[in-house]
Amino acid sequence: MPPGSRHNSPGLAAFLRRVEAMVIRELNKNWQSHAFDGFEVNWTEPQQTVTCLHTLGYPPAQGQGLHVTSVSWNSTGSVVACAYGRLDDGDWSTLKAFVCAWNLDRRGLNPRQPSAVVEVPSAVMCLAFHPTQPSHIAGGLYSGEVLVWDMSRPEDPLLWRTGLTDDTHTDPVYQVVWLPEPRYSYRFRVLSVATDGKVLLWQAAGPGQLQLTEGFALVVQQLPRNTKLKKPHRGETEVGTTAVAFSSFDPSLFVLGTEGGFPLKCSLAAEEAALTRMPSSVSLRAPAQFTFSPHGGPVYSVSCSPFHRNLFLSAGTDGHIHLYSMLQAQPLTSLQLSHKYLFAVRWSPVRPLVFAAASGEGDVQLFDLQKSSQKPTVSIKQTQDESPVYCLEFNCQQTQLLAAGDAKGTVKVWQLSTEFTEQGPSETEDLEQLAAEVAT
Amino acid sequence: MGVTTKNLLVNFCPDLFQAEVEETLKRIQSHKGVIGTMVVNAEGIPIRTTLDNSTTVQYAGLLHQLTMKARSTVRDIDPQNDLTFLRIRSKKHEIMVAPDKEYLLIVIQNPCE
Repeated sequence: MPPGSRHNSPGLAAFLRRVEAMVIRELNKNWQSHAFDGFEVNWTEPQQTVTCLHTLGYPPAQGQGLHVTSVSWNSTGSVVACAYGRLDDGDWSTLKAFVCAWNLDRRGLNPRQPSAVVEVPSAVMCLAFHPTQPSHIAGGLYSGEVLVWDMSRPEDPLLWRTGLTDDTHTDPVYQVVWLPEPRYSYRFRVLSVATDGKVLLWQAAGPGQLQLTEGFALVVQQLPRNTKLKKPHRGETEVGTTAVAFSSFDPSLFVLGTEGGFPLKCSLAAEEAALTRMPSSVSLRAPAQFTFSPHGGPVYSVSCSPFHRNLFLSAGTDGHIHLYSMLQAQPLTSLQLSHKYLFAVRWSPVRPLVFAAASGEGDVQLFDLQKSSQKPTVSIKQTQDESPVYCLEFNCQQTQLLAAGDAKGTVKVWQLSTEFTEQGPSETEDLEQLAAEVAT
Repeated sequence: MGVTTKNLLVNFCPDLFQAEVEETLKRIQSHKGVIGTMVVNAEGIPIRTTLDNSTTVQYAGLLHQLTMKARSTVRDIDPQNDLTFLRIRSKKHEIMVAPDKEYLLIVIQNPCE
């Protein structure tokens, strides 16, 4: 901005002198006016109901009784992929499983024939498409491995794998996330979270090899003591981690969901060494900085608000959703959405007060905190026989779409009504108000 | 004010005008609900702003064009008439434009709901 030069100062001053009074008058009138209260304009034809656009499945996987454990939309929003595996108790390490992808924009889409199928030697627990490469996808296996595939190469899709080394997780990997590298934000690494208590960062190094670059380990003795937790079982030192979500505002801040039911606030920049005897080629650090008050059961999903830096949601097997503020251990709100388990919760990418949850009773529940803080606004029945819905993801490019995967091996793509995709007039302010209800 | 006096003031007390400009803009910016204030010249180039560069450039270019169109609309309907003020109300806030021969004052306000 060029600094005001002497030449336009008098002219500019005179102009401002002329208009100031009128502008101030209008600002005041506007502040006090109720002329536009409740006035809303409809520019688009409102979509009234929630409809099921696609019902996708891979018969060979469904025939084996495989569950959809995870869904992911790619960077262009036109491809949805699902991971097949099992989420119930059992040894699924040698179960033949699949990763399937459907291109929803392609003509002649066959819902029972994915555009791409990858066979995987162990149950796939989680998936995440690359943030910019439309065909690269990372997956975490029951065996503890992390793999990256290129879905556009049907003959040889596997790009990189961790293999089974001392560094690899020794327990199922529950979630994988792509993170930009600190200095080259167009390059990405994969972060994996498993119930062995390790949070690991992998980078592609050498042909086909994912190498460990950084790692964290969570140990009971190093958990921040700001919240009183149940005494761990004798001999138990690791904290099983089952979910992860990164803050949209601070790229080094992340929230972990744990088997103990207590979310943890963590930082990638933590420096304290972890007191663990687990072997590792890089030194493992203790990342936890704050312990949140627990659910009555393991937390399988956490989600950080894209609109407020302090808010995040967690879903527990106690059937409750907790809304937490980073500033206090007790949740701001606790909602019981299910009498069975809750497996997934996600904030809407466009509506600050909306989130979706996947229940063990087979429903996808959509909450609009602006309409009701107690009941879901819409409860979508995904499965006919009350089999659980295990995962869901909003499509960030086509914001009216929500994909959900269930225990019957089906992925349903739901089209949401306009009320779920258009922000209300004072929604950001209402969110601020909600976040400010922190106890003093 | 005679030309000679004004010239004298410009040459010997330029800061007087500079300070007045800054004071006026500060008064407007501190009004209830005001999110941003900017002054744009006749070519649509921003010369003062309280917002970041990219947002300012966007507002300046688009609103300059819209103001010219609004002005020609008013004058086409009645050549004896002229634009005095432009307000755009959107879902999220209100944009106010006070137009003039050489400058535009743009104020963005988030009115109380």
